[in-house]
Amino acid sequence: MMQTQGKSINKKLRISGGLIALGLLVQALSLLWNHPLSFIAYVTIGGLFMAGGIVLYLFTLVNIPSAGTEDVEGNTKAQTPQT
Amino acid sequence: MPTSLILAILVITIVLAGLVAVRPNLTVARGGKILAFLAFFIFPVFAGLLGLENHMERAKQTSFCLTCHIMGQYGQSLYVDDASYIPAAHFQNGRVPRDQACYTCHTDYSIFGGFKSKFRGLHHIYAQYVTGPQQPVKLYHPYNNRECLHCHEGSRSFEQGALHTAEPQTMADIKSNKLSCLTSGCHDTIHNVKQLDHVKYWKPVQ
Repeated sequence: MMQTQGKSINKKLRISGGLIALGLLVQALSLLWNHPLSFIAYVTIGGLFMAGGIVLYLFTLVNIPSAGTEDVEGNTKAQTPQT
Repeated sequence: MPTSLILAILVITIVLAGLVAVRPNLTVARGGKILAFLAFFIFPVFAGLLGLENHMERAKQTSFCLTCHIMGQYGQSLYVDDASYIPAAHFQNGRVPRDQACYTCHTDYSIFGGFKSKFRGLHHIYAQYVTGPQQPVKLYHPYNNRECLHCHEGSRSFEQGALHTAEPQTMADIKSNKLSCLTSGCHDTIHNVKQLDHVKYWKPVQ
């Protein structure tokens, strides 16, 4: 169960990192192109990829299970935080 | 900020984001979590804003405006060797910065003027690539004297000009935009692109 959660978080981190890197790459390339369409590419393609990656990362952060959860008897079970 | 520096920041951010993406297990440790937060949030937002600001500044450049084919003749009109051509006289005599000549005269000198100009720029892109530009090119609104007065108000040639002070009401009408600088028959030779084949051109000294 814990391993599955860890894998899921890692997968989300990979995706968000990939999206952010791709978005930044598009933005970097657009800065080398002096044309009105470069601004559109910067905002729409680069901005969307980057925003998608950041949102996915933040979403992953807020959905990480807390460090300790209580079972029905009130005993605390420790969980290993992944991120 | 120079484009090269922004590019360097972007590349560093890409490397950091890529590193965390390739090795997500780094985030198990506390330092890794901080690295992930920097690489996935702080640096991309910072670099993104820097890049956006760079794009905004570049959009003010004369060369940027002239990348659209339809603006070519308007750029050419800046080199007309005739002082009655208002944009040419301003451009050639350094009354406007040559590298931002279009923006300096065609922005709105009001509180949200810069924003409105950028929004108009987006409309230009839409018109250029989607609907097709109007022929001949026209301003969206009549040219406002405010843009002229931004520089000329208070200057001797404007405040004490013979025609400006010929009648007491003239100056008030100019300043309140009732009497247009450009279309009231005074300074009415603007880009005049239809006549560009019949004029002499100024060649700047290299």
